[in-house]
Amino acid sequence: MEEYPEELRTPPVTLISLVGCPELHALISSHLHSEQPPINTLALPDFSKISVIFSDKSSDGKAASASDPSSPTPGILKRDWLLKHRTKVPAVLAALFNSEQISGDPAQWIQVCTDLENLRNVIRPKNIKLVVVVVVPATFFASSNDDLISEDRMAALRKRAELDAKHIVFFNSGDELQLKESLNKLGSTFAELATTYYREEGRRIKTRVEKKNFSSIELNIRNCFKVAVHAEFRRDWVEALRFYEDAYHLLRQMVSTSTRLPVIQRLVEIKIVAEQLHFKISTLLLHGGKIADAIAWFRKHNASYRNLVGPPGVVFMHWEWMSRQFLVFAELLETSSKAIQSISGPASNTAEKLTEWEFQPAYYYQLAANYLKEKRNALELAQQSEEAAGGIDGSAESVAPSVYVGQFSRLLEQENVLAMQPLTDEEYTRYSIAEGKRFQDSFEIIALLKKSHESFSGIKAKRMGSLCAFQMAKEYYTVADFTNAKQLLDDVASLYRSEGWVTLLWEALGYVRECARRAGMVKEFVEYSLEMAALPVSSDTSVQSFDSKDCGPAGPPSLAQRENIHKEVFSLVSGEVGSVSIGDNLDLQTACNGPLHLEIDLVSPLRVVLLASVAFHEQIIKPGVPALITVSLLSQLPMNVDIDQLELQFNQSECNFIIMNSQRPASTDGRQGRRVERAPSLSLVTHKWLRLTYEVQSELSGKLECIYVVAKMRSLLTICCRAESPASMDDLPLWRFEDRVQTFPTKDPALAFSGQKAAQVEEADPQVDLVLGATGPALVEECFLVPVTVTSKGHSVFSGELKVNLVDVKGGGLFSPREVEPLSSDSSHHVQLLGVSSTDTEDDPQVASSKIMKIQQSFGLVSVPFLKDGESWSCKLEIKWNRPKPIMLFVSLGYFPDVNELSSQKVHVHKSLQIEGKTGIVISHQFMLPFHQYPLLLSKQSPSLPMNEASVLVVSTKNCSEVPLELQSMSIDMDDDHERLYTLQHGGGGAEDMLGISHLMPGAEFRKVFTIVPEVESSSLVLGSVALRWRRKSETQEACVLTKYKLPDVNIELPPLVVRQECPPYAILGDPFAYVLRIKNQTKLLQEVKFSLGDAQSFVLAGSHTDSTFILPKSEHVVSYKIVPLCSGMQQLPRVTVTSVRYSAAFQPSVAASTVFVFPSKPHFQIAAAADAENKELEPVATE
Amino acid sequence: MIVCVAVVGHQNNPLYIQSFTEADDALKLHHIVHCSLDVVDERVNNPKKSGPTLNETFLGLLYPTENYKVYGYLTNTKVKFILVTTDLDVRDVDVRNFFRRFHAAYVDAVSNPFHVPGKKITSRTFAERVSNIVKSFGLSST
Repeated sequence: MEEYPEELRTPPVTLISLVGCPELHALISSHLHSEQPPINTLALPDFSKISVIFSDKSSDGKAASASDPSSPTPGILKRDWLLKHRTKVPAVLAALFNSEQISGDPAQWIQVCTDLENLRNVIRPKNIKLVVVVVVPATFFASSNDDLISEDRMAALRKRAELDAKHIVFFNSGDELQLKESLNKLGSTFAELATTYYREEGRRIKTRVEKKNFSSIELNIRNCFKVAVHAEFRRDWVEALRFYEDAYHLLRQMVSTSTRLPVIQRLVEIKIVAEQLHFKISTLLLHGGKIADAIAWFRKHNASYRNLVGPPGVVFMHWEWMSRQFLVFAELLETSSKAIQSISGPASNTAEKLTEWEFQPAYYYQLAANYLKEKRNALELAQQSEEAAGGIDGSAESVAPSVYVGQFSRLLEQENVLAMQPLTDEEYTRYSIAEGKRFQDSFEIIALLKKSHESFSGIKAKRMGSLCAFQMAKEYYTVADFTNAKQLLDDVASLYRSEGWVTLLWEALGYVRECARRAGMVKEFVEYSLEMAALPVSSDTSVQSFDSKDCGPAGPPSLAQRENIHKEVFSLVSGEVGSVSIGDNLDLQTACNGPLHLEIDLVSPLRVVLLASVAFHEQIIKPGVPALITVSLLSQLPMNVDIDQLELQFNQSECNFIIMNSQRPASTDGRQGRRVERAPSLSLVTHKWLRLTYEVQSELSGKLECIYVVAKMRSLLTICCRAESPASMDDLPLWRFEDRVQTFPTKDPALAFSGQKAAQVEEADPQVDLVLGATGPALVEECFLVPVTVTSKGHSVFSGELKVNLVDVKGGGLFSPREVEPLSSDSSHHVQLLGVSSTDTEDDPQVASSKIMKIQQSFGLVSVPFLKDGESWSCKLEIKWNRPKPIMLFVSLGYFPDVNELSSQKVHVHKSLQIEGKTGIVISHQFMLPFHQYPLLLSKQSPSLPMNEASVLVVSTKNCSEVPLELQSMSIDMDDDHERLYTLQHGGGGAEDMLGISHLMPGAEFRKVFTIVPEVESSSLVLGSVALRWRRKSETQEACVLTKYKLPDVNIELPPLVVRQECPPYAILGDPFAYVLRIKNQTKLLQEVKFSLGDAQSFVLAGSHTDSTFILPKSEHVVSYKIVPLCSGMQQLPRVTVTSVRYSAAFQPSVAASTVFVFPSKPHFQIAAAADAENKELEPVATE
Repeated sequence: MIVCVAVVGHQNNPLYIQSFTEADDALKLHHIVHCSLDVVDERVNNPKKSGPTLNETFLGLLYPTENYKVYGYLTNTKVKFILVTTDLDVRDVDVRNFFRRFHAAYVDAVSNPFHVPGKKITSRTFAERVSNIVKSFGLSST
């Protein structure tokens, strides 16, 4: 676009001319330039210059008009016409006069008149509008300009200038306001007159067009162009567009009709004019925001001229022209789309056939580059034929553009006069070819493609972008810039690789391979060659026909070509000098003397060349035991490849081994101390797994992983291939789309799906027994002993360490050492590891002293002394349960079987045992009152005991465990800080608390009765706690366990009344007996007591049914009835109710207490009767 | 005249590409087919721009090169069909019709129990059928 002249590229701007009063010109012109729309100013300092500037124009114009209309028009558009109208022919001429000149003396006035006359003579033939500006002096402050110049003078001035009053403008620069007003006035007057001028001019030419008043089609086009330009001057874009289009269409018709010039030049002229017209049209459309229209127009333009190639010798000119069309349009589109942000999408009606790319400048840049390439090719041909025809003569140098757009002529210099001579087509062709040589098209092409590439990449069209990059790379390749070419091609190839476009990849690799070859990069060359050789190029080449010329240096993709490349690269790496057809580049051959090392990892494109899969047959292998490992190699190279030697590298380097090809002479360098295997053949066949199975043996426990498989081929090539597990192996990226039989890296398909390149090496088997000897559940409170025995069975134990861990089975509170906080009390540990006692300490005191012990609540670390083979050592873990809870006991023994700890590996033995913690003994208690004695306790608190009365405390113990227990003693002990404030009596006689040994079988219960007589009145009397000593019943005398049971505090109070019921233990039918209630008043008050007696069917009784009586303080009242039983058996005595009025308390003996057995006749048991009397006071409650 | 047809898998890998020209420019056609995938992506990712054709399999004219027109078709399994023709005046109806028949042929080819989905189509029957469809392009409607 830059090569177009300025006047064509920018919209035309109105031009006016100022003459006279040069001091004001700068001010006025800058104001006009800032107007909207702007006006350009042609400033002439004084009137004498007028004729000079306009004279040649007028004569030129006369000459043009004077030319014979019948003679053929020599051209379509004049080269400088547009420039003339933009810079030299003003629309308005403004004559500036000072007011003194007009109103001054006659001499001045005559001067003014003369100037005006001259001006009018000059501008009349061109219809230029005249404005007279009267400059009012700055010192003049008049309310009206009329005062300045007399009416007569003004009239005379108007007459002289033949102007309306409004075209005589007063310019007053007195103050700022007036100046601004004046400038605005000037601006609007100029704009109005300019529009009028351009309209009139346009109309004048338009009538010519409409009347078809012209001699040739060229003139018609020219007139249309002029009308359009004039319309543009007055910003009538619609009309401008219409006439440009008319001109364009007329021009297109000319192609077949015109005979004016020689063929080639005629076409050139038409195309260049069409280019200008098209440019104008496109600019107008784009500036109007009609992008879709502009694109459609461009398409039409392209379609109508694309086939106008011209004679064969000058085809390149056509391509150059085409390229320029695309480039210019791309630039236009780019600038306009920057201005108009929202590109109207292809949804608009006119653009129904437009596609996305046509809105992108990148698309046009790319095509411009393509045409430029065509041009270059055509130009090369033209040059060749030209040279063959006899070289280029120097005459081309004097060829220059002629007066008309798109025409060239020879410039002849004769006696200092320049003359133009028309050219013949041959001369013109020579000239163009010579011109064409001056440009370096490749760089132009690269620049265009780069723009396109960047632009396409910007809109995420990566494939278009990479196509551009590819074309760029080809250009770089042709200009032998291999670094740039290679860089671009690498990117391009990676896209094709990832999408599996093999043919395109083949082409790209072919170029980059040649780049590497030419640049002497041996490693790259080998890599690209190998990749190409391994590409899945379809073997049936007959289906696809590829032009070998188009396919780049690699030739068409075919199996044969792959084989050629394969042979070439392998003869290169085998160092066979002379057998390689490297061509003229000897650098590669010489550079290839050293060894070549290629690495193939999981993402390398060279995986197709060599794929190594390694699978251990077992996931877990034993140390020192040979395990099977299968190495599978796959190559897609078209021909068989023999591997000289194969090395497997593991993470444990002592496992590395080498597989030698026994068909090859063995070289013994660099493998001292390595294991060497021999394979009968190490030949890789295309697309066939080479499977090798060997044994591998590791002494170290841990992970054993195969990392690399290094294949050595020929003398120079080493391929280091990262090992892959068959289970997680990806398909080969390009071959995966090929329709072919799936093969497995291992013979066993199961191994192919699950095989791993790494295996776990186990520890050596421990040859030591660890026995945890606990039996049965542990009981709460007891110190539970778990015997641990370490017995050596083949291994000596060095530096043995026993780790003990207690873990909650339910996972609630893990007894890990971390959780042991110093502040937490023992209660937080329901189970504690108390200690470890060794049984062998007496035998070997030295060992015992050296052993380290670390005991925490749930974790213990015990060192085990040195044990020889066959020896054993044991200890006992002391664990105490505070709560019933199952726990898991983990004991692990770690030791070295060898005295040298560094060389040997630690061996571990783990044992675990779940131990239940159970409650062994449950203690409960019960308070009871003495037989048939009922104190009135006023407080509601319970338990309450009457003071100074004997109360019974029954303590019972139950064996909840599953083992028999021995009870040692049971007593009620006071706590240290309490005093015993009651009298305690043991049932069963005065022996203090020793029971002797009492056996308690599982589930059995043991009770002991205590009598308590409180001596003080207290709301909470401390009774102390029951202390029970017990142990498991066993042969070994274990230590007694003391279980404490806290008795509750009791309320002691003095009862005001005590009722004692007396009645015989049995009765005899018909035999009367006494039923007595003794009511004792313990207060110092007189107590009123009411009592009543209910009837009973089985008895006849004597005594009052209801009565009330007063009981004296500290005395006892006896209510006595005589009762005769009438029925035998268990009989309910008559219910008696005693009511204390003062305390509103009633007493009625319970049904059980008022039941008596009636014998039918007197039984005979004398002994019982004796015992009966004795045991009245302390009868064991248990028999009740 | 149709110069090239292609089936492109959903990873944008070519499954079947066949050119029908005498001019030995198969590689150029491969480039054209490959580049047209950009437009397919664009159309699929910005369905708004392509107007009301929301569930339309026929993607229409993808892009005009100087000498070719490229049409696209997207199946519901995201397999793309690309057609390159040298006819500059092509009726949409013909192209739609072509793609419909081509789709049917493709479905038959991949329904073959011996065909592994995602692999290249190597069926000879398919190739023959395609070449028949290509030959009859534009004839049926005239």
